[in-house]
Formats: sequence, C-alpha cells, structure tokens
Amino acid sequence: MKVTSYKLNDALFKTIIWIFLIVVTIYCLFPFAWMLSTSLKTESEAFRMPPTWIPLEPTGDSYIGIWVRKNFGIYFFNSTIISLSTAMLSTFFGALAGYGFSRFFFKGRRFLIGFFLATQMLPGVLLVGPYFKILSKVGLYDTRTGLIIAFLTICLPFSTWMMKGFIDKVPVELDQSAMVDGCSRMGIFFKIILPVVSPGMVATILFAFLLAWGDLLWALCLTSSEPMITVTLGIARTVGQFNIIWPMLMAGSLVGGMPAIILYVFLQRLLVQGLTAGAVKE
Amino acid sequence: MWVLFVLPGVLLLVLVLGFPAITSISYSIQPENKEIASYTFSHYVNLTKDPFFTSTFWNTAIFVSLSVAAHMILGLAVAMVLNSALPAKPLFRIIALLPWVVPDVVAGIIWKWMYDPIYGALNDVLLKMGLINAPIEWLSNPNLALFSVILVNLWRGFPFVMLILLAGLQAIPPQLYEAAAIDGASKRQQFFHITIPGLKKMIVVALALDIVWEVRRFGLIQAMTQGGPGVLTEVLSTYTYKQYFQFFRFEYASAIAVIMTIVLLAVSLPYIWMISQEE
Repeated sequence: MKVTSYKLNDALFKTIIWIFLIVVTIYCLFPFAWMLSTSLKTESEAFRMPPTWIPLEPTGDSYIGIWVRKNFGIYFFNSTIISLSTAMLSTFFGALAGYGFSRFFFKGRRFLIGFFLATQMLPGVLLVGPYFKILSKVGLYDTRTGLIIAFLTICLPFSTWMMKGFIDKVPVELDQSAMVDGCSRMGIFFKIILPVVSPGMVATILFAFLLAWGDLLWALCLTSSEPMITVTLGIARTVGQFNIIWPMLMAGSLVGGMPAIILYVFLQRLLVQGLTAGAVKE
Repeated sequence: MWVLFVLPGVLLLVLVLGFPAITSISYSIQPENKEIASYTFSHYVNLTKDPFFTSTFWNTAIFVSLSVAAHMILGLAVAMVLNSALPAKPLFRIIALLPWVVPDVVAGIIWKWMYDPIYGALNDVLLKMGLINAPIEWLSNPNLALFSVILVNLWRGFPFVMLILLAGLQAIPPQLYEAAAIDGASKRQQFFHITIPGLKKMIVVALALDIVWEVRRFGLIQAMTQGGPGVLTEVLSTYTYKQYFQFFRFEYASAIAVIMTIVLLAVSLPYIWMISQEE
C-alpha cells in the first residue's frame, strides 16, 4: 500500500515538474516568438485586430528596411568599433593586472582586489554626469573615442577577474622553469602566459564586447548625432518617435540582439565564473 | 615587480572611474549658484523634501525587493529542475538563459509590444483563454504599471540567479542525499538540511550581485515606460538621468547618485569582503 502511494506520488511529482518546465519555457520563449512573428509582418498586418500569431503574408522587407531606410548600418558599425576597442583594451590591461594578482602576494593586494570589486558596484549614473562635462570640455562628446573610454569603467574590472581566473589555472611551475632559463617576468607574461591563456583571452574579449554592446545609459548620455549612435540607442530612439513601425523595430531588435544571443550561448559555461569574480566556479 | 603588472590597470581605473566618481561627489555638495564658492549639503536636505524623490525611492525599493525575491524563487526552482535527471538539459538551459542575454533595451521593447493593449500578444492570449474580459492596460494603468515592469524584470533577471545556483547545486555531493534518504529524511528535510546549507555561499553571491544590478537597472525601464505614467515606474537611475539630462540639475542629480552609491556599496560590502578574504 505504501509502495503504490509512493509511486503515485512520484508520477504526480514528475508531471508537475514537466508542467512547470513547459510553463517556464513558454514564459522565456513567447516574447521572442512574438518579436520574430512581428518582424515578418507588413506594417498594416502588425496593426490588425485581433493580432495574427503567424504572419499571413510573411515578408523580409523589415530586415532590408532597417539597413536601407534606417541607419542601422551606421549603428552596427559604431557599436562594433566601440565595443571591440573597449573589449581589447580592457582585456589587455585586465590580463596584466590579472597576472599581477595571480602570481604576486604583495602588501595591499587584498585592498586592491577589494578596490577592483567595489568599482564594479558603482551605479553608472554616478559617472555619466562628470563624463558628460569632461568629454565636452576636451571635445570628445559625441565621439566613438569618448564612449570607448567610458566603457572601460564597466569592462576593465570585469576583464581583470576573468583573466585572473584563467591565469590561476596555469601552473606556476611554467613561470618558474622559464625563470630558471633566464626569462624576465615580462618575457614570461608575453611569451608564455598569454599564448597559454589565449582561448580565455578571446572569451574575455567577447564578454567585455557584450557588456559594452548592451549598454544604453552611456550611449544615451555621451552621444547624440545620428552618425555616432549605437545600436541600442538607435533602437531606443525609435520607440520615442510618434509613429512606431513595429515590424521594423522588431527586426532591428532581433538583429541588434543577435550577436549577444549567439555569443552567450557559446560562452555560457565561462560566464558565471567571470561575473562572480571567481566566487562561483563551474 | 608586481607593480609593473598591477599598476597600469589601477591607474587606468583611478583615471577613468575614480576621478569622475570624486567629481560627482564634489558636485553634490556644490551650490547650484556657482557665484558662491563654498560647499553645501542643501541638495541632500532638499531630497528629503522632494515628493518625486521619495516616491522614486519607494518605487526602487519595491522594484528591487520584489524582483530579487522573485528571481531567487524562480531561479532556484528552475535550477533544481535542471539539476535533476532530465533529458535535453543543455537545451532547457539555453532556453532559460535567453531572456538574460539580449540587451536591456531589446528586452524592454519586446515587452512594450507584448503589453500593447490593442495589438499586443499578451492581451490576445488572455482574452482567447477567457482569463480576462477586456484588454488590460498593462503599462498605462496606474495601479498596474510598476507590477507589469517587475514582471518583465522577473523574466529578464531570473536566468543569472539560476546559473549561479545551478553551479552551486552541482557542487553538492549526491552521496549526501543518498545517505539522508537511507536515514529516512524526507525530500523536504533534505531540501532544508542539505540543499539550502550547501547553497549558502552561492545565495550570498547571487543576492549581492542581483541587488546591485536591479538597483542600477536603467535600459529596461527607459525603453518601456521612461518612468511613466507620471512617476509611477520611475526608479532612482531613471530619475537621476532625468535630473541630469532633462533638467540639467547636475548638483541635485549627483546627490541622488551619491546616495545610490552608498546604498550599493553597503549592500555589496559582505560580498566584497568575502571574496577579498578568499584571495
């Protein structure tokens, strides 16, 4: 008797878990499906009542329109240049600092580690005001260079953690044997450590790239003219307009979100370690 | 020797981040009238009398606490399911990660369109299922707007908590559960005496990071409501932005940002302490 009820409970439990999974899956995916569906509609079909779930006459016009009728090409170019420059700069300096934190146990090390961590907690709105004033003064307001400098504040601490994590995994014996062979510390770093951690370096660059890619606040505050704005700002501006062309906006959002979706899916295993300063390892 | 490696990064951080942060603090104690060269705490005093600031502060408190609590519950539930024997686990993991990976703005815009009272998908589904009789004004109904934004933020933010807790669950040795089961411990007892204690550190990490991120959340709300209707979905980050770039009250805005910074550093101090001690 007891065994049967246990089995029944087990089956019930499994069913509940599957129902839960299905509900969560729908919750996660439904908005994306709606975005995709809208992006393939004509403008008039997007304003049909009641809404159609699957486009009646699917069209790729919006995907062409964002490049031809809107300046998506410019936004994409800007976002790519800005995010990539920031990512490479921050990963280079992050690798240097990461090596320092990984290999040397100096006085004040804990304090500096705490400092790097604390900088990751600051709100962006604390910094954008001074940035706006300083960049305007030196003529870097509304330039890609200005945004690249600003994004270092987000990316540099992150890259340092990530690179430190990868360098920690390289055995110290490698450094020591090179040192016996008369190699200098800098030589070890550039000739031995960097090549060994190069896959990790690529991952760090890509994550830092995505951190910059996804930002809105900084782009909104530090750029204004059409030739300088980023994908996220371009999308956000469209929403503010009186007449929103939803299929085109959804196509733009999908294309603008695509680099993030693809890269995160490939890199997700390393993500947790990087964002938690190595406190969580997988 | 370590100086050669660490110093460039430290100097760069001080330059691009430390210096603007200090500048911001000094703005916050400068009078708006620059003629008088002195300092003042009047902005902080005025904040307490600003009804918009007060309501923004409470909106943020509600937004953050409900979001974080919901992230924890849903994140833990999904993590536990994904940690059990389940076919197609990697696929579910990717599906559950998707809301988190797109830029904030994109997430906000998809949901703004989902929520559209006339042409949006959500009302259509609910009407067809017979759950509601009339379309709901998700983002313009004053009683509902903040709740609707939090619902989107639940969608957006739970995956990262899920990932952290999943990593923690995978680190708990299965033998513990087997031994407990042999000793006759119920699932419930196993949950409270093995799972939760085993996840303690991960919960601290997830809580600290999530609170910090939700307090700073900007793009999502900016894309969806820009703080409206009125100031009903206004949070500290959007309010500070408005004070800066729409009203050009730099000193006042800086005071709000400084308060945010103090709150964020206070919240994350245990986390920072924990990690720097481990190192």
